[in-house]
Amino acid sequence: MSPALVAVVIVVCAGAVVAVSTRDWGAAAIGLAVALVASALLSDPLPSVAILGVRVVAGILVAAILRAALQGGPRQPSPLGWPAEALLATAGAVAGLGLAVGLAALAAAAGGPIGAPNLPGPRNPGDVVVGGDVTVTAMALVVAAGTALLALGAAPLVHGEAGGRRAIGLVLVTQAVLLLRVGIGGPAVELEEIARAALLVVSGATGAVIARAAAVARAGEDAEVRASDGRPLRV
Amino acid sequence: MTLLVLATLALAAGVLAIVTADSRPAVSLVVGLIGALGVMALALVMPPEESLRIGGVGLVTTPLVRAMAVAWAAGLAVLALLEVAVGGRLTVVGPSLVGLAVAAVALATRDPASSMAALAAGGVAGVVVPGLSGWLDRADSPSRLPTTSRGSLAILGSGLLGMVVIAWGASAAGPFGAGAISVEPGGQFGLGLGLLGMVAAVAIRCGLIPLHVWAARFMEGVSPLAIPAAFAWGSAVFVLVALDWSQVALGPTAAGDIERLLIVALALTSIVLGGLAAMVHDDIEHVLGYSILQDAGVAVLAFASLEPQVVAAARNWLVASATVKTALAAWAAVVRTTYGGHRLADLGGWARRSPVLGLAFAGILVAAIALPGFSMWDARVTLIEGAIPGVGFALAIVAAAMPAIYLGRIGFAGIAPVTSAVAAGPSGRPRWSGGRATGWSDGSMGSAIRAVPAELRANRAALAAAGVVALAAMALATAVGGAGG
Repeated sequence: MSPALVAVVIVVCAGAVVAVSTRDWGAAAIGLAVALVASALLSDPLPSVAILGVRVVAGILVAAILRAALQGGPRQPSPLGWPAEALLATAGAVAGLGLAVGLAALAAAAGGPIGAPNLPGPRNPGDVVVGGDVTVTAMALVVAAGTALLALGAAPLVHGEAGGRRAIGLVLVTQAVLLLRVGIGGPAVELEEIARAALLVVSGATGAVIARAAAVARAGEDAEVRASDGRPLRV
Repeated sequence: MTLLVLATLALAAGVLAIVTADSRPAVSLVVGLIGALGVMALALVMPPEESLRIGGVGLVTTPLVRAMAVAWAAGLAVLALLEVAVGGRLTVVGPSLVGLAVAAVALATRDPASSMAALAAGGVAGVVVPGLSGWLDRADSPSRLPTTSRGSLAILGSGLLGMVVIAWGASAAGPFGAGAISVEPGGQFGLGLGLLGMVAAVAIRCGLIPLHVWAARFMEGVSPLAIPAAFAWGSAVFVLVALDWSQVALGPTAAGDIERLLIVALALTSIVLGGLAAMVHDDIEHVLGYSILQDAGVAVLAFASLEPQVVAAARNWLVASATVKTALAAWAAVVRTTYGGHRLADLGGWARRSPVLGLAFAGILVAAIALPGFSMWDARVTLIEGAIPGVGFALAIVAAAMPAIYLGRIGFAGIAPVTSAVAAGPSGRPRWSGGRATGWSDGSMGSAIRAVPAELRANRAALAAAGVVALAAMALATAVGGAGG
């Protein structure tokens, strides 16, 4: 099962890279949808059908809201390009793995059940052995995905212009924190799953509304600039 | 079960009010008003102790949840009517109902991660809806949109930071790592760091100095009626959830010397500078904003000790101060609408022109100062003394004197000679506009009823002032009696 989780993490990162680096808002929305839906599958074992449905619906809803809001808006491509964004995601994922391994070592030292580096003992059947004695658990992969999304989303959120890129950054950072919360703190209960889904949707909606307003404001400013040339004002 | 019904009603009414605010404002108002009254009724009949289990988490209704719901819903019902009197876009009731629903569930939930996620999700409406309305209404102020964006990021960011800290708490590196709370030096460092992380989240959410710029800019661009939902009540509930988690997960041992120093410094900065700013500013919206900020600074002092009696005092303080600032916000909105000005220089004699508003302001002033013997006074002393033993009582007197000064200035302006701006405004005294025809007493009941809307419009200022009196009475009641914290 865990090699499948590794594949899911790769899909999450790939979708996020597409979302932040593409020039086309439609492709960005698709990339975001892929990242969010794949994030919903990041657990071992999978949650109940209801919870899975809540996660998937929330992800798709966010992508749909952003798609509708960003349509026709000004393009905001990544200044780095997709290769650099992919490297950034990889670096973030590696950092997340390191964080998870460190936490596993702490847990093992305290007698916890999580597999830890360089410690003998039985491994869980689904754990992935990376090399030597290092065991990567499902939670570690969740943390890795979370930090990868954080690395990708932080820059557009903090430094991006108000618009679609910042909205996508907001969604990615929100999803990153939600993944980190589960990866570091353990599985969420059902009520929290609903609250988390609501938070994700609200983040997406907030980003979408503000991006739309920014596009309208920019269109109004452009119209005023054209009018200052002495030509008839047409909005 | 009552809590669930209350939250569902508030959420449904709030969302419907937001969605219909522009296209059908009358429907939005009616839905919001019925929702607020329904929530208040449910809160009043809510049993003081009720528990149920939803989604694997227990929800426990406490006297605090009940008091918060009653005070907020009652204030919201009055604010809904005042919003009609004040005019403009409907931006108060909908977001406030959503915030109230989320707050009630968040306070009752025994799972802090769920509470934090819900608060972040529900608190955004209180910023985005009024912020965008302010941007739409004032196209000549393009900075309103970035202000709304920053405010939304602050609300969401504080919630996300809180979730990260809570996740750390439940991790192997946290205080519950491997099922044992560690107080060894390494563990103490972690506890302190976790406490500071949660305080940082609170500081962002409440807009404490020096993180106050987004809050100050936001308050400049929206109706004063929209401020309580985002900053008075919204911040209060966030602090309460953060305090509950800190008390359980970290405990009083988390605040070492350095942590205590940092927390006290942060709190005192907001208390002192917020109070000074309120004293210096001439416009009533800034006075309102900085007074709310000052109240938040007092509440943050609870994190410096996390003792049970201090946390209980913080609960009383937060609910009471939110009620008082709701009344002050209503007063500011009514004064601005009635007399057109918001600077003290333009508001000379406002209390002479509207004695009812003056009476309401007197009640707000007394509640904000919180005289010795008031529950709010005891809460303030306990909070300050708990964080700074020895000099706490003296500081509490200074903290009480500040509202006396910055609100007292406004009161003195009220009894000063009437300025031209105030004289030009409608009188706050109720009057019969003459809607009746000569010999009306012999006329039909229908003609008398048809005269009612005209009389209501003619007495808009007086009716709005009466609404502020009701809020001031609630503020006094909670300042005196507390919130059952």
